[in-house]
Amino acid sequence: MTALRRHRKLTAIWASEPGWKGWTSSVNHSDLGRMFLVTAFFFFLVGGILAMLIRAQLATPHSAFVDAGAFAQFFTMHGTIMMFLFAIPTFEGLAIYLLPKMLGTRDLAFPRLTAYGYWCYAFGGSMLLIALVLGIAPDGGWFMYPPLTGPLHSPGINTDFWLIGITFVEISAICAAVELTVSILKYRAPGMSLDKMPIFAWYALVTALMILTGFPPLILGSVLLEVERAFGWPFFQADLGGDSLLWQHLFWLFGHPEVYIIFLPAAGVISTIIPVMARTTLLGYGWIVASAVALAFLSFGLWVHHMFTTGIPLMGLAFFSAASTLVAVPTGVQVFAWIGTLWKGRPELHLPMLHILGFFFTFVIGGLTGVMVAVVPFDWQAHDTAFITAHLHYVLFGGFVFPILAGIYYWLPLFTGRKRFFRLGEMAFGLIFVGFHGTFLAMHWVGLMGQRRRIETHDAETGWGVINLISSISSFVMAIGLAMVLVDVLIHAFVAVPGGRNPWKAGTLEWASMSPPPAYNFASLPHVVSRDPFHADPGLPNRLAKGEGYLGDPKASRRETLTVDIATGRPDFMVIYPGNTRLPIVMAAVTGLFFVSILLKLFWLTPLALAGVAALALVWVWRLGAQVDAGPQDAGRGANLPLAGETTKSPGWWGSIFLLAANGTFFGSLLFGYAFLWTVAPGWPPAEWLTPSLAELGIGIAAALSAALAIRFAIRSNCRSARPMTGLVAAFGATVIAILTFAMLLSRVPPPDGHAYAATLCVLCAYALAHALLVSLMLSFAIARILRGYTSAARAAELHIVSLWTDYLAAITILSLLAAHLPGMLA
Amino acid sequence: MKDILRLLLPLLAWLASFSAIYGLHGIGCGLCWPEISYQDVSLVRFALLSAWFAAIFMQVALLFALHMDRFKAVSVFMQWTSIATGWVGLVAVFWTLYPVAVIAACGTYG
Repeated sequence: MTALRRHRKLTAIWASEPGWKGWTSSVNHSDLGRMFLVTAFFFFLVGGILAMLIRAQLATPHSAFVDAGAFAQFFTMHGTIMMFLFAIPTFEGLAIYLLPKMLGTRDLAFPRLTAYGYWCYAFGGSMLLIALVLGIAPDGGWFMYPPLTGPLHSPGINTDFWLIGITFVEISAICAAVELTVSILKYRAPGMSLDKMPIFAWYALVTALMILTGFPPLILGSVLLEVERAFGWPFFQADLGGDSLLWQHLFWLFGHPEVYIIFLPAAGVISTIIPVMARTTLLGYGWIVASAVALAFLSFGLWVHHMFTTGIPLMGLAFFSAASTLVAVPTGVQVFAWIGTLWKGRPELHLPMLHILGFFFTFVIGGLTGVMVAVVPFDWQAHDTAFITAHLHYVLFGGFVFPILAGIYYWLPLFTGRKRFFRLGEMAFGLIFVGFHGTFLAMHWVGLMGQRRRIETHDAETGWGVINLISSISSFVMAIGLAMVLVDVLIHAFVAVPGGRNPWKAGTLEWASMSPPPAYNFASLPHVVSRDPFHADPGLPNRLAKGEGYLGDPKASRRETLTVDIATGRPDFMVIYPGNTRLPIVMAAVTGLFFVSILLKLFWLTPLALAGVAALALVWVWRLGAQVDAGPQDAGRGANLPLAGETTKSPGWWGSIFLLAANGTFFGSLLFGYAFLWTVAPGWPPAEWLTPSLAELGIGIAAALSAALAIRFAIRSNCRSARPMTGLVAAFGATVIAILTFAMLLSRVPPPDGHAYAATLCVLCAYALAHALLVSLMLSFAIARILRGYTSAARAAELHIVSLWTDYLAAITILSLLAAHLPGMLA
Repeated sequence: MKDILRLLLPLLAWLASFSAIYGLHGIGCGLCWPEISYQDVSLVRFALLSAWFAAIFMQVALLFALHMDRFKAVSVFMQWTSIATGWVGLVAVFWTLYPVAVIAACGTYG
């Protein structure tokens, strides 16, 4: 087969539908990565306009440009958009677009999940924009601290938009994190062992794992606050056993790692670009990987440094201050590794490098002010002043926006297949750099002079007027610079002349595909022997196009790729992807209906929407799998591999593992909240504990453990080619008993609007009940699949996935029942 | 997956120690352990110091294990990187738990 014929055949298999219809049905990672990036930068534009409105208001004393109410909406939406609708989705978009190309594969692990995540993001973000346009946007600050945002002080719908919209958007982040983790661990070119992975993939892996463990506390906090607002369950009301500090703990358990979730991908971009620009290899690859992992962990131990002024015990202050200073060490290791790389190479000052230099200068200042505010006495002085706002912007703009601008200019030739011919980008960089420092250096200064953050006006007598004017003028200079970047990118994308492949002479695999890359990325998959495969074999692109790699012989309409052993990169399974479908957008819309029903208090619609999501999920998974054993498949280069559905640890199994990790963090945060209220909140103990019942405790635990054992029995029977039905039916029966146990427990809990104890207990039981219902649905699905011939001794992947969820149910059942009954027993 | 676990284990152990010792402080204060003392060493201080030493011991043991032929990674890169995170775990346990073990007191700063 000629290279051109292979290209046409693969394009026919992998291409999205033409025109606008393709936008709604595409499951291709390149399309969805671009859609994520364009949407994220649209939100960046909106967030930037809001920033300009804020600076216009603060430019002069006693300004009447906007009133206090509108100003509160502006700063809340500016922070919310930049953190949730720009920074994280930009990482997701970049990783979704780039990673399969860098890893030498054809798509991400779960293409339909990519699309579902995108549509959840687009719909959730739109919900917030609609609120902004209607003038009912969130106005409690992007931290949303109760009691300000509770039902008593913010009775309107504004706060609900934030809580519901952000939770909707978070679904997208969890989806992306699951699939990026599985893709990086399993979907790599054969031969690409962990030590040969591109450094960006390491950063993306660490970031994705952080999203899985960092976002659930915020999702929990949002759920609890929305439940308090909608039903009056008092999680954050001190007079009814709640505590507003619980929100701060849950928020910052997410919020501090969030800073590193934003910084680490940007650090990945820097680690990728610097060696290329310095014409050398990255110094200390292993050091950088170790410090990225360390940074991810340590960042979880710092959340309380946002709460130094809340009256926490002295021990907490010392403890978290120590942890906060320690985090500078792995950050420093990375910065020194980058400087060392520049030192040993021959750096060339192309446009991406200018932005990297901008990053160095800005981020180091942000890091230094970060160490300043980690020191408790200074934090007490500077807390909630413009100094903190300036520090935050130095870290996030320096640590994210400059590296992302470097990344845009670095990968633009790959995205478009064109080369720049203007020097507009260099001028834009100058304006952004000068404008940024003018804006935020001034803000440090005025913060030290006592200007509080989030105030809509100031008096002339304060002496802050000139500084604020300098800050506002500089911010407009920065905005002009950013607008010039937008113009430059548009000119590049639509007008510039075509360029050659790999203009930077980089060594990573994304440059071995065509520019712009085709829908299938690689005509055949490479066998990787080096960390810079393109440098090791400059003829690689031609050989791949000729089909000399794996899967070079496209079959019928099958979208095929390979998975590998995590450590060694040895090929292990073949994967066949689903084709284009509108199922993800429909499911995202129905998911949106669920959120809208809560927002508008149309509670009759909520169960219908949930049933719709469940029905669509069943359709989603039912379309996978086969009714006959296919056996080992020819993958080229002499490799015969089983299909992923004919293994015990299929991609779905891996996906479930990481989804359950996020789920477990959510549950752990709920238990933390329960323990926190119990030990710290005023108004405890409650007037009455739940009456303990040994029978309920015993039956519930026995049922959940029996379900987990029964499904193991079913798997063993299936493995021996015997009928697994007995075990599955037994597991289903045991799960039904667990459902009844939790339903009975819920009926016995004291009224949840009376005390935080009862409210927390209700949420705990509802969580366990929902999981028991989910597992019963999964078991029914497994039974139906067996009856329709989708399972055999070889095709057992689905049973192993259901087994994971049954095990999880057993664990949460035991913990939930103990948490419910123990207090009454000990009292 | 074992290699990824090797890489994460020392830091997971730090995270567990971090949470456990923080919780131990809360329990000690809640149960009035500062009032129980022997030769000027209160029960809460004794418990916290013991837990801190145990956490340090666990990290040292992990570092040893990562060096041993039986547990170390096959790939040199993973072996080196997991040992590096082992050292980070040890330093983090020492540095971040020092305040709670040595200077922690019950009550608020008022």
